[in-house]
Parts: sequence; structure tokens; C-alpha cells
Amino acid sequence: MKPKYAMLCILPLLVVLIPALIKVAPQLQEAADIIPPATIYTRSDNSSINKPCSNDHAEWRPEQVIEGVTIDAAPSCEPDNPYDIVTSVKGTNNVSMGTLMQTNFAQDAITLSDDLDHDGDPDIIRIKLEVVELNGSSPDGEFLINTFDIAPGIQPGLWVYAPKSRGMALKNFNSLVANPMLRAPSPVIRVEQGDKVYITLENTHYLPHTIHLHGVDHPWLNDEGQDNDGMEEHAVFPGKSHTYQIQPRHAGTMLYHCHVQTAQHFMMGLNGMFIVEENQPNNWLQTFNIGAGQVRHPSTAVKKVYNQEYDLHYQSVDKKLASIIQTANDPRLIAKQMARDYNMTESFENYFMLNGHSFPYTLRDAMIIADENEIIKLHVANLQRSSVALHIHGHKATITALDGVEQPEGQQITRDVFDIAPAQRTDLRLQTINDGLHNYGPGLWMFHDHVPTGTTTDGMEPGGNMAILAYKHYLDELGMPKMHDELFDQVFNKDYYAKKQAVWASGDFAALLGDAGLLAPNYGRIILFGLIAGLIIALLVLSALIVRRKKS
Amino acid sequence: MKTLVLTLLMLCASSVVTAMDMDGMLMDDKGMIMNANSDTLPRDCTAISETVDITIRAGQQHAQKFTGKMFAFDQQEWNIKPCAKINITFINDDQIRHQLMIHGLPGYLYPDGMFHLELYGEGQLQASLIMPSLKKTYLVHCELPQHMEKGMKAQLKVDGGNGDLPSIPGLTAPVKADIYPVDWSSLTTAILILCVLVGCFMPFIIILNAKRFKEPIKKLLSTLKRGKSVAPTESS
Repeated sequence: MKPKYAMLCILPLLVVLIPALIKVAPQLQEAADIIPPATIYTRSDNSSINKPCSNDHAEWRPEQVIEGVTIDAAPSCEPDNPYDIVTSVKGTNNVSMGTLMQTNFAQDAITLSDDLDHDGDPDIIRIKLEVVELNGSSPDGEFLINTFDIAPGIQPGLWVYAPKSRGMALKNFNSLVANPMLRAPSPVIRVEQGDKVYITLENTHYLPHTIHLHGVDHPWLNDEGQDNDGMEEHAVFPGKSHTYQIQPRHAGTMLYHCHVQTAQHFMMGLNGMFIVEENQPNNWLQTFNIGAGQVRHPSTAVKKVYNQEYDLHYQSVDKKLASIIQTANDPRLIAKQMARDYNMTESFENYFMLNGHSFPYTLRDAMIIADENEIIKLHVANLQRSSVALHIHGHKATITALDGVEQPEGQQITRDVFDIAPAQRTDLRLQTINDGLHNYGPGLWMFHDHVPTGTTTDGMEPGGNMAILAYKHYLDELGMPKMHDELFDQVFNKDYYAKKQAVWASGDFAALLGDAGLLAPNYGRIILFGLIAGLIIALLVLSALIVRRKKS
Repeated sequence: MKTLVLTLLMLCASSVVTAMDMDGMLMDDKGMIMNANSDTLPRDCTAISETVDITIRAGQQHAQKFTGKMFAFDQQEWNIKPCAKINITFINDDQIRHQLMIHGLPGYLYPDGMFHLELYGEGQLQASLIMPSLKKTYLVHCELPQHMEKGMKAQLKVDGGNGDLPSIPGLTAPVKADIYPVDWSSLTTAILILCVLVGCFMPFIIILNAKRFKEPIKKLLSTLKRGKSVAPTESS
């Protein structure tokens, strides 16, 4: 055939074939016909599923007396270690070696001495704090170290103050998990009004930090004429130590936090509650409430009025900020990314924690556990970036103090949503008296931040700072809420918070509300497309050959 | 004169409270019937051609057999003769309100062109209507917000009907279909590549065996010259 005819043949063919090719192009997403694809079921393997309660220390739950210190019962799944409490009450210098060995405290973590006012309790308090990184990075591999899960599979990078500890920071040699004393939130510190308190920051971290005693009566300079306000210009650099000195004259719920690169360091978790208790005779205080929550050895003044006492620490995390320490190891890179690349004015809050945990882990150690007809003291601190609107289902509580200042009788407001701005503290009197106002009867009453983001974990409901005010007879022997089995199957699962599971993936409605499957490929179309595409290529090659032959 | 005889049967025959009867509507605490008609013939009918008893169940459980739906009737299509009388037993299997509405009926007999049964909860009621003679497809649905959209849609065809309505579960395609990802596997890719290769070699095979294909190619060329497109696979 002559080239001219060949080209005349090929060109119209191409004109027809190219639109046809576009017409039959297969898609990665297609519209369903009459019958949409069937529901698919994703099953999590065992490695993704958590046991709701591992029940590691059942013996820690009952009321007990150790070394003469009374420790209230804590029926929850993960009660505080009673030896931590005894040591916090008596001081590391006053407990037996046997008791101290049951804890992770360093021997000089809490030194209590000198009953200056001769009222039967120590008045010189020396506290040592370290700075600990949780879920940090390692140059030795793709893993995080000193891990602390805030929820199933959720490990944001965090910084916390921790009581000076000894021994391994990990649970054991084969583990990457942080030891139980190294956790969020930073511990609640309790001292007595009029105590001479020496707070030493031993900066064990790789970036500079300080301690600023927010709302706590403190002079601007310490006895040595050095900084006592914990401001940026007096940062305590890595490997250095600095002692802040106070003798607070005013009692109340206050705060302590880092004031270096404050926005970022605060949001990384360097904040905690600092509670100054009324001066009372024989008032041995629980200096540290590790992980906040129930105070198992309340002060004399609290015990006079209240049946129980709880510290509620609300905290939020921006996952973008939190991931900075997980993506590099070089402190210069971390410093640059955190201070300059990251922009706090463009930040979001993705995780919301109560006492260091997000739902469902809040059910292990952040529940309020009540009996009927109790009066319970709550110290609520908002250490989030945004406001908290705390709501307790089935109850109306009463504000007794704001920002550590007792409210006069006439201004003690009873309500069911408590608006707490960032860094504010609200002391509440919660009454479990079934009178239709303070309480509507016993139950497993949810309590949570009513700001819609607060009940989610990176947008996944139920999550965030949701917890339960549980009446005792609604708890099982492990301290977990009864009648929640189906929910536990759903949420004690990493895949759920990784957003891999449909919300209603089991039960009667699984087929109707589970995940829609994929459409089968339309093979007729794919084959036709392939053939046409091949033909076009061949025709193009042919015409190229023809053109070349023509030229030569 | 037009009289409407309304029958209202409740699942629990016991506590039937005072039913309200006004202008073609019968209502009590269990549900209501609007525009039932068991004896007035449409103008175009001289006699009732057949009497059909239809039981229609409504509820969430009837959607189980359809993917991507939430509420449904137990059937999606009925075929009846022109001028048929239909005795409908409407059963609600849910604990919520459902309706059975038939639209497009002649307005002189059925105000607003509508026949309407409604159950306020689990229960049952009966009512009749007489269809006109027109060859037509009538919409049957529950008009609660999103109930028809999520599957409570059916069609009643008289004399074979005048077409199908869209998005009837399991029966007709939607007008605005949802988009789903395609299950594209490595096998799919392999088939595609194979087809491209086959398509690629086809013209060369044809050229190499030109003599054998001379006649068909000539034909092809002549058709092309006449300006008609030809499917690419025809050459074999």
C-alpha cells in the first residue's frame, strides 16, 4: 500500500478511536447501579483489642493503713499505688526502705521536716521535680520510647513534670512503656498554708524549662536573690537545677507550669495543679497525687466537710505539635520546629484528656466513684488551650471557690455547666443526694466537657475527656462500669480510634450501617479500553514509521 | 352522591378511642386514613374489574434485604387491572410512624390526588380504593422525611403502567447514584495491560498477514471512505 493511502486510513481511525477511548476509560470510583455494593465487615485482630481492665493490682483497691497512714479505698480498675501515697504523705525521708522500694521515688524526692508551728505536721517541704518526655523518638529505630497511651493506640508526644524518680524509666527491660510514675498529667502537688516549700526543678530534659507558680503566693526573688517567678529569661537549662522558694499565706487550688516558650511547652503538658491546703493541726498531706484523680489521703480540712476528694485535670493536645518530638532526635531540629516552624496561632486541639487519659481509658482511673448521700470535693483545673464547659449528667454541683479563692456563701452558684477558661480553676461541691436538684438518683452518669470537640479523640466519638460518675453498685469487681460490654468491645480497640472500624460494625444494624463495600470492576469496559489504547499506540507507531519511510 | 365508607381495624381491638371522621379523613390515636373509597367508581370505569387484596408491611426490617437502605415496604411493585378495587391491609412493623401514600389519583375522587394511610406506631389498618382505567404507574411511598429516600418507595402499575419510577429498592436505578470505590486489583491491572498489548499488536499482525486480510481491509477502507466508523476489533 502506498504511504499516502495508509495515512489516510490511519488518521480517521485515530479520530474515531481517541474519543472512544475517553468514553470507555475505567474509573477508580463509579456510580452503583440498582444494587449498591454489599456491606463489608472489618474484624480487628487480637493485637488491636485491649482488655478493658487488666486488673494488675487488685490489692491496691481496698482501704488500708500503711506505716500509720490511712489510705481510702479506690474501687477503680487502676487505683493509685498505696505506697506512692504513703511516701507522698510521710516523705521519702520518713518512710521505711521497704515502702520506698515499692515506689519509683528517688530518696530525695520529697523531704518533709521541722514542725515549725508545733501542730503535729512537718512544715519544711522539699520537693524535687524532673522533666520527662513521653512517647518520644529514638534514633535506634522506628519506635517510640517511654510510651504512655492516652487511649487505645494513641501515643502523642508529651512532656510532663514528674517527681524525681530512681531506677528504670521503662516498665522493664523488654518494654518501651514508661514506668507508672511517668505519666500525664504532671502530678498534683499539695502543700499546707504557711509551709516553707522548696521546689527544685532538676532539668533532666534536653530543652530549657522553668516552673512558674501560677496563683500561688510567691515572692519574685528567692532567698538567694535569684528568679522565683519561673520566667523565660531565667530558664533552667538541660542538666541544671534551680530551687523556687515559697511560703504561701493563702490556701486554694492553683497551678504550676513551664514559662519557657510558654504556648508550646504548656500545651506539651508541662502544667499541673498546685493546691495549698488550709493550715490545720496534724495535717499530713498527700504531697503528690500522681495522675491526679481521687485523693486517697485528703487533708484534715477536707475530711471535716467532705466524704471524698478528686483532682480533675483537663488537658488538650495538638497532634501536629506533639509529633514534632517524634520526627527528629537532634535537639536543634526539635527546637527550630517547635519554636519557629510550628505556629500556635494555626493550631488545633485533637486530643482531650482528663487526668492524662482519653475515653475509654478514663474509665480505668479517672472516674468519680460515689455512694448515695455523699458530699464530694472536686478541684477542676482547665489546662487546655480552649475553654471547658464541664457538665455532669444527673447532677448539679456548687461552685465553692474560683481560681483558689473561696466564694462568699451568697455567690456559691449551683449549676450544671461550669465554664472554665484556660488556666482557671473551679472548686465544686458535688452532692449525691437524690433530691431532684443536686442529683436525680444513682447511676453511671457521664461527665464531660460540653464543647463538642472535647468528647472526641481526633474527631472520633466517644473519646476525649468523657468519664463517668459511677455509683458503686453499678461497678463490677474490677471497678469497671456494668452494662457497657458492647461499648467496650467497640472502643477498647486501636482500630476504632485509627478510624478503621465502622461505628456500628456489630449487632442488628451492622449490615445497614457498616462499611459499604467496593464495586466489582467493569471488565467489559476495561478490556475495550485496553484494546483501543493498544490500537491507538500501534497506529501512532505505524504512522511514525510511514512518515520516516516517506522522508528517507 | 359520594359516600366514603371507612374501615379502621387496629391490631389491638381493645381500646379504640373516639375516632374522628371529617371530610374523607378518619383518625384516631393509632393512625389515620384519608380518601379511602370502596364503592365510588371512577368516571372512566363502568364496573369494578377485579378485587385485589394486598397486604403491605412497612418497617426497618424490610430494608435488610437491600444494601444501602434503611426503611422499606416488603414489596416494591404491584400490577393490577384497570378499574380494579384494591383492599389494602397496611401493617407497620416498627415502633415509629409510617405512611403508605399513593399519588397521582384523579382529584375529583381522591382530594389532592392522594390516598393516604398512616400508622402512628406498630399496628395494622385496612382501607380500599378503586383505580381508574388509565394505563399508569403510581408512586407508593412513605412521606416521612428521608423514608422514601432511604428505601420506602414502591410503584403500583395499572394495566402494565407507563414506565418505571427511579430508585425503587432492588428494582430501578437511581437518578443520582452514589459513588463507590472500584475493587481494582492487580488482576484487573494485568487484564488491562494484556488488552493494551493485544490492541498494540493487532495492526501489525494484520499488516504482516496483509495478503490474507486484503479483502477485508479493502472493505474496511471503502467503508471508511464512506465516512462510517468501524469498531476496531472487526478486523479479525
